Amino acid sequence: MLLEIKSLDSGYGFLQVLWDVSIYVEQGEFVALIGPNGAGKSTTLKTVSGLLEPQGGEILFEGDAIGGLEGHLVCRKGVAFISEDLNLFVNMTVRENLEMGAFTLKDPAKQAQHLEFVYELFPRLYERENQFAGTLSGGERKMLAIGRGIMSGPRLLLVDEPSLGLAPQLTNEVFKALKALNARGTTILLVEQNVTKTLKTASRAYILEKGKIVLDGKSEDLANDEHVRKIYLGH
Amino acid sequence: MANPATESAVDQIDQTIGESFAQKATRWLFSAGGITVCLTILIAIVASIDKGPYVLVNTIITGGMWALMAIGLSLLFSVMNIAGFAHGEYFMAGSLTAYYAMLPIGKYTLDNPESFMAYVGPLIAILAGTLMCALLGIITERLVFKQLRMRNREGWLLNCFLITIGLSIIFQNTHQLAFGADFKGILAYWDFPSVSIFDVYISMDRVCAFFIAMLTMIGFYIFMMFSTAGKTIRAVSQDEEGARMVGISVDAVHIMTFALSCGLAGLAGASLLFMFPSYPTVGLMPLYNSWFIIILVGFGNVVGSIPGGFMIALFQVLTRTYFGEGWEAVIPVLLISLILIFKPSGIFATKVRTVWDE
Amino acid sequence: MANEYDVQKQGIAKFLDYLCLTPLGAIGFLILIIVPLFPPFNQDYLLRWFILAAIMGSGAMAFDFSSGYIAVVNFGFAAFVGLGAYTSAIVANKWGIPLPVAMLCGAFTAALLGFFTGAISLRMRGMFAICLTWFIGIGLMGLTIKMVWLTRGMLGLQTLYFFGPEASNIYYWYPVLGVALVTWYILKRMARSHIGLAFKAIGQNMDAAKTSGIDPTRYRIMNFTVSCALAGWIGAFYAHFIGILTPDFLHTAKTVEFLVIAYIGGRGTLWGGFAVSFPLIWFTEMLRSNFDYLPGINLLVYGLMLILIMIFYAGGMAQFFEYLVDKFKDNATVRWLTT
Repeated sequence: MLLEIKSLDSGYGFLQVLWDVSIYVEQGEFVALIGPNGAGKSTTLKTVSGLLEPQGGEILFEGDAIGGLEGHLVCRKGVAFISEDLNLFVNMTVRENLEMGAFTLKDPAKQAQHLEFVYELFPRLYERENQFAGTLSGGERKMLAIGRGIMSGPRLLLVDEPSLGLAPQLTNEVFKALKALNARGTTILLVEQNVTKTLKTASRAYILEKGKIVLDGKSEDLANDEHVRKIYLGH
Repeated sequence: MANPATESAVDQIDQTIGESFAQKATRWLFSAGGITVCLTILIAIVASIDKGPYVLVNTIITGGMWALMAIGLSLLFSVMNIAGFAHGEYFMAGSLTAYYAMLPIGKYTLDNPESFMAYVGPLIAILAGTLMCALLGIITERLVFKQLRMRNREGWLLNCFLITIGLSIIFQNTHQLAFGADFKGILAYWDFPSVSIFDVYISMDRVCAFFIAMLTMIGFYIFMMFSTAGKTIRAVSQDEEGARMVGISVDAVHIMTFALSCGLAGLAGASLLFMFPSYPTVGLMPLYNSWFIIILVGFGNVVGSIPGGFMIALFQVLTRTYFGEGWEAVIPVLLISLILIFKPSGIFATKVRTVWDE
Repeated sequence: MANEYDVQKQGIAKFLDYLCLTPLGAIGFLILIIVPLFPPFNQDYLLRWFILAAIMGSGAMAFDFSSGYIAVVNFGFAAFVGLGAYTSAIVANKWGIPLPVAMLCGAFTAALLGFFTGAISLRMRGMFAICLTWFIGIGLMGLTIKMVWLTRGMLGLQTLYFFGPEASNIYYWYPVLGVALVTWYILKRMARSHIGLAFKAIGQNMDAAKTSGIDPTRYRIMNFTVSCALAGWIGAFYAHFIGILTPDFLHTAKTVEFLVIAYIGGRGTLWGGFAVSFPLIWFTEMLRSNFDYLPGINLLVYGLMLILIMIFYAGGMAQFFEYLVDKFKDNATVRWLTT
């Protein structure tokens, strides 16, 4: 198992958000974490990526315990986090942002390789290479955030609500890119509110409600599940 | 869902990207920043003609150093959201260290006026001042601010401000306790004949101070723009979480920032020892100046501190020349008040996220 | 202050409540009234420090009214105190105005400047308002130095004593307690009212306050004006106690003294600064006289205490007091004393 989250408790100080959450992701999988607003999906990703400290339970990545490890160290282990806020370096150009993404790579040849790959995946970023990140449109910023995340060549990609605020066409582009990444071997754990799209892209999914996992299974099975259909798919 | 408001804003920016250099330059010239800079240069020239070239000389010599100090203060703001009220104390520590370093060097140079030491010695003293302050900065960060960050992140800006007040008190009184309240000065760093430019005699110390300031600014620019360390500092100042996410150790950046910031202040203090002897409260005026500058150019605007430094230096020289000694406490207050009221983001319209979010 | 132990207040308790004093506070006050009558505290030398502590403590309360409630640190506070001091002194010297009235003149000028400062700083976020007050303080001190024709600059301005130059300090003790009590009363009354609630709302979250219908401008100005008026009034008292005024009374370092007392006492509590002012002033004076070969050691300790409090115990002494009260809240005496 690439990522194993065992009985995770997490939250913000006195406010506990996650209760006994257990998720596993195998190498090469595309797994989704869905649920309503405020369920704790972002909290889960933030805890795994080291931006939040867990209050209980374990997180194992490739067998190593990473729970409580600081954010930049988790990144160096091979986990990249694409946050909902994107956290772009607004006064740096697209290219500089991508270069910063490769911060943990020491090999300049690999950096160049990854940069080429990102430009292939997102041609628009290449067009706007020397533009400041703060001046990009919403969709371009998402692409840049994802591009920056994959520059370090991570084995696991944590993506938080990529479709938020995007027009449907752009959402398709982003999901297409994620699928392509997964096809190349990057394991993906995706957090989303857009359930229809997600269940078509991910092979497996977990449903998180009020900080607890209530359901999980293969996407096709979930799509036909009554609870899921009623609450998330609207029929 | 694409936001029409953002799209049009992006279009506007797209237009400015397409602008030629000439168009951009013209637009800048008519902005508040551009007008102020041009006005300053004009006034400097006029005053020099009126009152004598020392106006320009003093402005350029001290301006560079104040700029360095303001850069240090701006760094603290933009990277760590710390309002440094103790910044002047690092100036003082720099001058103090340089003084004690110069004691043996000065004696040696007196006995051997043509030796290698006569040329290099002062540089050693200045370097000592700089490094000591960088070290003090690191100690301050580890011992004080890291402790605060670990325990309490609320009201960070105000708490840090109060802490720096405490630091300022401690530094000043430690100096007094350990080294006495008297003035510790030197006659000159480089005891060589003055340089003459256009019939104006400028002491070697002043010339060297100027070059030190210029070289440091260039070095700083290269460091921030092209070195990995510099890029990590810029990254953290723009988005701390984002920096963590790409694997940057924010902790290391904090240490570097403090070392840099305090080191710059120490450099200014050490370089200007010939002008400002060291005593416990010598850091007050540099502190006020640094704050004038960052208010003038906008909190966190590191690059803007450079022209800002010269502007404030000119302002001070003019105040002293036309109004007499002692008025430089009063007149700048009017200027600062006007800026705070009408243009709080400074003449260069700086938008520093963290300060505004407070 | 309503709490679950609220009891119908009658008689003395009601009177105390009207004065905004808890029984414990009243006892503390009584102690202050009585102690200077007995040796060794009745020495003039010690009384001087009591009086100064009361003055600094009152000032700290006025300072806390701004910094602890609307989160605006008046970093030029000493200048407002000094403004009141100088105004009162000048007005009494030049026109022979009776001292209590002169004190009110001092309060008025300080209030006026406070009003304008509050009005100007209305658009500014915390940091900018602090900067503005800081530089106003610097400017005021500079003016005081330069306007020698009015203030005699660095030479110092002789002021008229309340009770003549020969009077013993004990005469000043009860008036200064009166000043402290009036300051406390005015500030606490306002703080307890809906106005005080508005202050706290603005201090915590300006935007949230706005959306709750609170006009931050109006309240900021109100708060600042009251704080500065009292500062000026207290300063005026100081002027006619100390006998001579110098411009360095307006220095930022003096503001820092008020600030340190207010913060070590406990921000936002008002009484914290006053209570802690006495041990602090006594402690620093003891340091100064016993270690006079170590100049500035008292200030050094001040600075250290401020830093330690900020890092480890941001609520100051008052927070510790609240902790004790909470720990013993099952004890009926404790409850009675503190409501």
